[in-house]
Amino acid sequence: MSKRIIIVLLGLTILFLPVSLFAITAQEIVREMDAQATFETSYATGSIKTVDRFGTKESTFKAWSRGTTDSLIEFTSIAERGQKILRTKGSLYLFYPDAEELIRMQGAALRQSVLGSDLSYEDMTEEKTTLDDYDVTLDGSETVRGRDCHILILTAKTRQVAYPVQKIWVDKETFLTWKGEYATNHGRLLKKMEVLDTLVIDGRTLPKETRIEDAMKSNSATWMMLDTLEVNIPLESNLFTLENLTW
Amino acid sequence: MTIKLPAVAFRNIFRNLRRSILCAVAIAVSAMAIMALLSLLETMETDMATNLTSYYTGEVRIRHAEYEKYERYNPLHLSLDTEAVISVASDVGGVKAATARINFPANLYIDGQNNGAMGVGVDFATEQAFIDFSAIVDEGRIPKPGANELLMGKFLAHDLGLSLGDKVTMLTSTALRGSNAMTFTIVGIASFPVGGLSAKTVYIPIDRAQYLLRMEGKTQEVLLLTEDGYRERDVAQAVETALEEYLSLETETRAWKDLNMMYSFLSIAKFIYYVMGAIFFVLGSTVIINTTMMVIYERIREIGTLGALGMQGKELTRLFLLEGTFISIAGSTLGTLVGVLIVFILSKTGINFTEAMSGVDMEISSILFPRVNWFTALYVWIYAIIISSLSTLIPSRKASKIQIVEALRYV
Repeated sequence: MSKRIIIVLLGLTILFLPVSLFAITAQEIVREMDAQATFETSYATGSIKTVDRFGTKESTFKAWSRGTTDSLIEFTSIAERGQKILRTKGSLYLFYPDAEELIRMQGAALRQSVLGSDLSYEDMTEEKTTLDDYDVTLDGSETVRGRDCHILILTAKTRQVAYPVQKIWVDKETFLTWKGEYATNHGRLLKKMEVLDTLVIDGRTLPKETRIEDAMKSNSATWMMLDTLEVNIPLESNLFTLENLTW
Repeated sequence: MTIKLPAVAFRNIFRNLRRSILCAVAIAVSAMAIMALLSLLETMETDMATNLTSYYTGEVRIRHAEYEKYERYNPLHLSLDTEAVISVASDVGGVKAATARINFPANLYIDGQNNGAMGVGVDFATEQAFIDFSAIVDEGRIPKPGANELLMGKFLAHDLGLSLGDKVTMLTSTALRGSNAMTFTIVGIASFPVGGLSAKTVYIPIDRAQYLLRMEGKTQEVLLLTEDGYRERDVAQAVETALEEYLSLETETRAWKDLNMMYSFLSIAKFIYYVMGAIFFVLGSTVIINTTMMVIYERIREIGTLGALGMQGKELTRLFLLEGTFISIAGSTLGTLVGVLIVFILSKTGINFTEAMSGVDMEISSILFPRVNWFTALYVWIYAIIISSLSTLIPSRKASKIQIVEALRYV
């Protein structure tokens, strides 16, 4: 068999190999999605704008994160200056400058609104360990804001999560979640999310402006915007401790 | 025929004394029950009025025009400028006192748990015209302006296991639709007359409430008391007009009677009790009706004889009516006097509704002290006599229709 024929046969074999052999699995998509959104450390500044029946309210914040579980948010706008939200593995604490003790949020309290917005405390400090909490299946693909996306259905493994069922649209190329619909087990819509603008940091595409709508609230929507984002920066080792929170 | 009917009727009562006593007792029991019921209802009404005007709405309440529309969202941003509103309202004729209050839902954070409570920011100085705090403070003192101190309801303190000197962190939503928390020291524990207030409220100085809720210089509502001789509705109207004229401020300024559904219900209930009272007397009067009818049949030969001697039908009716009236007067007098005595005793001992009212969100004091109202006593007495006497009219009329010949043949 001539060398030429061998090359042609090899080419044909590769061409007709089952597509599934190359297809990415739902778990791999989620793993990549989490990885893209997780940095060793990060520091961001931004704002939360909420529009509801009473008008527009804007709050600004600074946020630090480390790995998949630790995050700290400090509000800088006048109305809530100095208030902080700390999330470490499994626990969420609120710090108020005029309170002599930290308030630990747990259970249903985690689903309360942050500053009257459409975001809950859990949304603000979400851990990026999706596969630990959800079973995931691929449900086709769709174009969102001009980007080809996988559609994933996430079903909660435990009752400890805010949203029992999530339907998310993940960019096939950048693994950014462009859109999400969060619902109860019975299919009742709880929240909707859509990324309106992105930024690229360290070769990764991340949300710059996100619109969130709590389906339980009428005439209300929240825009979360990042002004600056620095990643993989040195952070003080005690930044995510309770001792640091009260200083 | 000349005969002294009242004297004969009076004498007839004693012909069967036991039966007459039974009639009188039936009327007496009805009169006593109605006397006690009306006194209790009047006490509840007065008590509710005092509590509502002291602890809830004042006699006139001023709020932002849109507050009620969004009340379920706790719209503290729909507030009033405290100084400006009080200044204008105080100048209106008929306004005796004014105070600012901020009511807000709060969570008391204790041992990792949030406990629901109702916070009230008050100016303790101007509140004296509305609430006599010194009289209801069981332990400790009233919080000082500018200090992170609070006065807690007795039942709430008991339920949370808190006492004087303990610190408690209060978490709440602000007027800017954010959240805030502050730590307060319990400096006073109060027994409010209304169980619901003792079970869920904490009072803090208004300046601290304004700081906590991000409402500097603002208030949720201004409450007014009116001078004697002024109608609350007229004062409310005048204040609303003045605020619109001088501050270009649209408010919802209303008299307390227009704000409280429960009070309206109580007024309706009072009317229903009057109707029920009439039914009670009619029921009590059935004994008289029955007795009078029996008497007529027993004395049918006597009626025939009286008729033969020239007594007219109308006179026969009057005779039996007078008998019934004398028994009614005796029964009503006895019943009303016993009722007055019962109310007088209860006015000293009080009626404790603490257990019965637990969990009921009603602005009535846990312990009620009914008062003897002589007007009510007079009303019940006359009411009982009239209804009972009229009840005897039905059988009495029968006496006038009896044929003399038939009656004389009756054995």
